[in-house]
Amino acid sequence: MKALLLAMLLVPLAGIAVLYLLPRDVAERSATRVGFYAGGAVLVLAAALACVFDYTKTGYQAGVNWNWIPALHIRFQLGVDGISLPLVLLTALLSALCFFYSIRHMPDGGSQRSYTALLLLLEIGMLGTFLAADLILFFVFFEIVLLPMWALIAYWGTDGAKAAANKFILYTLLGSAVMVVGFLVLFAYADSFDMAWLTAHARGDVPKGAALTAFALIALGFAVKTPMFPLHTWLPDAHTAAPTTGSVLLAGVLLKMGTYGFVRIAVPILPQAAPTYAPALAAFGVVGVIYGSLACLSIARKPDGDLKRLIAYSSIGHMGFVLLGIGSLTTVGMNAALFASVAHGLITGLLFFLVGGLKVRVHSAKLDDIGRALYRRAPKYGVLIAFAAMASLGLPGLAGFWGEVLALFSATRPGTGLTQGSYIAMASIAAVGLVLTATYLLAVVRRVCMGPAATPSEQPVTELTAVETATWTPLVLLTLLAGLWPALLLGITNPAVRVLMKGV
Amino acid sequence: MSTLALWIPLLPLLSAAALAAVSLSGRGRRTVPALAVLPIAAAAVLTFVVLVGHGTGAATESRIRYAATGGPELWLGARVDGLAALIAVLVGVVATAVQLYSVSYMAHEERYTSYSALISLFTAAMLVVVYSTDLLVLLVGWEVMGACSYFLIGHHWERPEARGASIKAFLVTKFGDVPFLLGILFLAHGAGTFRVQPILQHAIQQGGHGYTAAGAILLIGGVMGKSAQVPLQTWLPDAMAGPTPISALIHAATMVAAGVYVVARLYPVFLVTPAALWILAIAATLTTVTAALSAFAQRDLKRILAYSTVSQLALMVAALAAGGRDAAVFHLMSHGGFKALLFLGAGVIIHKAGTGDVDELNTQDLRRKLPVTFITMTIGLAALAGVPPFSGFFSKESIAGAAYDTATHSGPTKSLLGLTPPAGIGWLVLVATLLTGFLTAAYALRTWLMLFGPLERGWFRSAVELSQRQPQAPAPSGVSMAEAEAKAETEVAPPTAADAAAGSEWALEALVAESIREKTAAEVAAAADASASAEAAKATKAKTKVRTGPEAPRAELLPLVVLAAVTTVFGFAGLNLGWFASWLGDADGNAYHAKAAEAGKLIQPADAYHLGPGLLSILLALLALALGLGVVLVAARAKPGTDPNHVLGFLRKPAFLGFRADDLQDAVVVRPTQAAADAVGFLDTEVVDAYVRGSGHAARLLGEGLRRIQTGNVQLYLTGVLTGVVVIAAALGFGR
Amino acid sequence: MHAIYPLTLAALLFAVGVYGVLARRNAVAVLMAIELLLNAVNLNLVTFSSLLRDQYGMGQVFTIFLITVAAAETGLGLAIVLLLYRNRGTAAIDDARELGEDGALGLKRVPPQADGDGNGNADAANTATATAARTPKAVTK
Repeated sequence: MKALLLAMLLVPLAGIAVLYLLPRDVAERSATRVGFYAGGAVLVLAAALACVFDYTKTGYQAGVNWNWIPALHIRFQLGVDGISLPLVLLTALLSALCFFYSIRHMPDGGSQRSYTALLLLLEIGMLGTFLAADLILFFVFFEIVLLPMWALIAYWGTDGAKAAANKFILYTLLGSAVMVVGFLVLFAYADSFDMAWLTAHARGDVPKGAALTAFALIALGFAVKTPMFPLHTWLPDAHTAAPTTGSVLLAGVLLKMGTYGFVRIAVPILPQAAPTYAPALAAFGVVGVIYGSLACLSIARKPDGDLKRLIAYSSIGHMGFVLLGIGSLTTVGMNAALFASVAHGLITGLLFFLVGGLKVRVHSAKLDDIGRALYRRAPKYGVLIAFAAMASLGLPGLAGFWGEVLALFSATRPGTGLTQGSYIAMASIAAVGLVLTATYLLAVVRRVCMGPAATPSEQPVTELTAVETATWTPLVLLTLLAGLWPALLLGITNPAVRVLMKGV
Repeated sequence: MSTLALWIPLLPLLSAAALAAVSLSGRGRRTVPALAVLPIAAAAVLTFVVLVGHGTGAATESRIRYAATGGPELWLGARVDGLAALIAVLVGVVATAVQLYSVSYMAHEERYTSYSALISLFTAAMLVVVYSTDLLVLLVGWEVMGACSYFLIGHHWERPEARGASIKAFLVTKFGDVPFLLGILFLAHGAGTFRVQPILQHAIQQGGHGYTAAGAILLIGGVMGKSAQVPLQTWLPDAMAGPTPISALIHAATMVAAGVYVVARLYPVFLVTPAALWILAIAATLTTVTAALSAFAQRDLKRILAYSTVSQLALMVAALAAGGRDAAVFHLMSHGGFKALLFLGAGVIIHKAGTGDVDELNTQDLRRKLPVTFITMTIGLAALAGVPPFSGFFSKESIAGAAYDTATHSGPTKSLLGLTPPAGIGWLVLVATLLTGFLTAAYALRTWLMLFGPLERGWFRSAVELSQRQPQAPAPSGVSMAEAEAKAETEVAPPTAADAAAGSEWALEALVAESIREKTAAEVAAAADASASAEAAKATKAKTKVRTGPEAPRAELLPLVVLAAVTTVFGFAGLNLGWFASWLGDADGNAYHAKAAEAGKLIQPADAYHLGPGLLSILLALLALALGLGVVLVAARAKPGTDPNHVLGFLRKPAFLGFRADDLQDAVVVRPTQAAADAVGFLDTEVVDAYVRGSGHAARLLGEGLRRIQTGNVQLYLTGVLTGVVVIAAALGFGR
Repeated sequence: MHAIYPLTLAALLFAVGVYGVLARRNAVAVLMAIELLLNAVNLNLVTFSSLLRDQYGMGQVFTIFLITVAAAETGLGLAIVLLLYRNRGTAAIDDARELGEDGALGLKRVPPQADGDGNGNADAANTATATAARTPKAVTK
């Protein structure tokens, strides 16, 4: 199992090495295939990990624990448990799908070799973030992710790519810089970077004041990443500019690194500080739900509204539910946050793929350029968009539902030390957000999928291609599966969350 | 039996999956009718088996663990009590009838496959709602029903009114689902589980306060949404833009009854919360009377039936509020039957005549052209009006009886769970029931006269509304039609052009209505209307060409006849104490027989169930019926040549417009939301992001400033350093 | 001896050194002033070493260390000054302002490639002084 974890990080690295060892022209020609093999291998490894994972145990499994920088008590510690496993699987899946999709749909912008190498590096960073069991190692992987994503947006993006990429990297770097200061404050008192140890000894060494400071700093870092309401403005720009695969991974995985941080680090390691900030987290989450939905609605009402931008804002709304779940400081809330994270990764990944496909077809993601009546012009494509919209608006029976409803459930009865009344108010407001979410998604479906009978002037739209079908089918199936059988995910996360939440 | 019930929804679900596969692959379309009808029919048979197997016994439950949440667990389970078993049969039968009917009715449609897949999915969802023991799983079915309804209303998405109506239906019900969801969560917090049985026990033991009271009041939101009660009733009349079988299945017999069903299912929760009962009673009273008036004033056959559905649903809700659970369920079942019959009959008429406007139907001599439809529709309308031998009479009479008992605290409802709803509710509901009975009789007779009356063309034509309904210009060609539609969509509200995207299609009917009073918008709306109706006319012309000859295919007439037969005899089920009531069982899910009565006070003695007619309520119901029929007959004779609804006088226009509920909704919810959305759109780029961009500019400005002191003169730098040292030293020195 | 005398002397030396560093234009004079600063510090080190009766004589050790460093620094510094003088014909440090930013306070400079006409008189004057400084001054000093 140890070997599996290490291999998951080393295989993409090997992929990068191969790309740069091959002669340039050969590498350019075969880059996307090399990427696909590496990504596919990681997916296989992740699936193998899911098979050998012991679902009856609760703590870290397959722990790699090596000395790294002994003078600073930093260790190279990897591990996987019920919280990280679903996210690791999600990452491996989405990355593999992105590689597969890139074979046919390489974005314009430059060398295929660099593009693939960057995606591989990105995958290392994402997997490492979810596998790291040491705070500094976590931080290192957290940072590794930024550079490839910046380059992907800046060089393979469209519509003001450079500015958006710079905004993205500066904003998130600021967040993670603050976060690492929080880690250091924590270290100053607890004298360890070991996550498992810190969780087990939570409430022990860190005095209240220091814990409050550390929590604020760490939470700020994760809040930027999530993104939480007033710290979100990098997201729409980055998504609008990013190439399809970049958007998919950005929404599907990168945002989850923030929520994962909350669930894994901020709340369980600093439980004495959590009740102080939890209402703020929940409140900003709720504001994000309403605000994101309204922003989407305003885009859906504009004639030149950009669909990618709309989905980016919808992510803010969905992540608001995640924050609400975390802010409730209950086991249900954490489960809800994880479920919603994974579901959002699947659904929003699918949505970004779909919009990317439209962009390939009509060379624009603007609502007016896409035109109307996709149900007629490309029936399967239209149905798929309607399906994704339904999933995104939290239709029960699809993945989006359980996370949001459980977040509301946890918020109507928050953990000890929190005022139930205010949480009930927040839950009610967030529930209204469900209606708003439905409003803008259905407005989009009406504008794009429905529409009048054929006019001669309208452009034809290509129906789903084989590559697209193959790329998106897994997402559709998993969305259905997670919606119809939520135990599949909740069964994995719940035992691990229970352990984490013992001290809270 | 509950184990069987647990698996019944799988049949329609598999049917839906198979149909979806056919639809996506595009192969095997010939198997579609079989795939659509057979599994649903099998499910219907199985619901019968469950009903018979359950018999008059106590509730049974079988469940499997669904998911752990970290709090209460979720269960996939069926809880079969009399109520669930009966309603499941209703669902199965109507769904089968509709699938059968659709085989011929929709066969020519290009999208028949996806249509029948959605009906199958809907049936599965409704069966989940009916049987589920876990409220969160019930919610799954509940919302999937809503989604199916959305897709089916939008089946003809080429038409703007269908697009608008589909979104409106989904959003308005979703709006009600918000409190519904919160209500479920509160109930679960109170009882510590999502399962129905412990929640009922918790309510009975703890009484109506805390979580239970909050839950009961919040649940009402969902009931209002799904069952189209004031103030969330606006979606149902518009939903008639969907195909007629869908109106029969979803928007008359089953889904809209789900709200009533949930109240009946969780009845103790409501019964211990008088505030909830009052809210239900007031909303239902308002709804039932206004909707009956609106039904009286409508011109479109399907809209008449839609408003009538709203009104009748409100009657059931009112019965529930007044403690008449059995009466409400009785009416739900009988209404499900005769309303499905009426809609299916309406479908036959509309296909044949090519219009749903009763004013034009009046001239078509339907009585002779459609003999079977004529007879069955007459039975349906008679049941709706409450003419004695038909089911509607018995069920309405039982509602009046229950209300009377509650009002006077005299009858057997007194002993229901040892609790009685407040007497005031009883009086309110009694008055509402009789008033509605009167109005229902009136509009049923009016509809019958308009459809089958022995009248000449134009006899009942009314001037006001008609001028808007008639296509002004000759039918435009295909291209200009699309242009007209596009124009209607983009230019409906020029000042806020984006309305075309989000809001204005919501209520095309309201636009039509507005055009009556405001000449300015008249052209646009008329253009839209003209194109829509021309399109419809063209489509139906094509259809009628195919179907000359006999009245309608057998597959369409068979359901009509079956439903008419059921409507004729079903009412008698309420007569004998041992029949309907004992099958239905107790509100707490207990069996209902004398032996169980000794077990505890929650169990009802045998004579507690009051469905058999009482003398007083019979007289009152007959009086209302006679008055209603009489008024219309008198009106028809008093002013020949006009629609009998002229007796409504000044009420006619507001009633035709649904009492401007759409405008109210537009002003209270839609416009503020749009304004807020625009505000946020502005806020995000100009305020929130401005700070972010501002920080970038600030950094740049700071750099510009600091650059200026970078003179290259080392001595200047050193002076700076020295000054700094002195300042720090001074601060340290004096700081102590 | 009372410690006040060497400490006062050191302070005075330091003050003189500071003046020299900040106010003198000639680079050699600045280097000399730096020597004064260092020696003021040395004096302090020795004084406190004896005052505190330091067991290991750290003050003395560091004094010797500093003298060594100062010698090296002076050697290097003089070499730089010499090169500067050879190249420019002047050792005035406020003429060596190549690292100043464009548009900085009180500094106007010709961009390397651009010729003077865009920037007016001040630049012309600047170049004039630079060329003028090259000839007589350098020889006399």
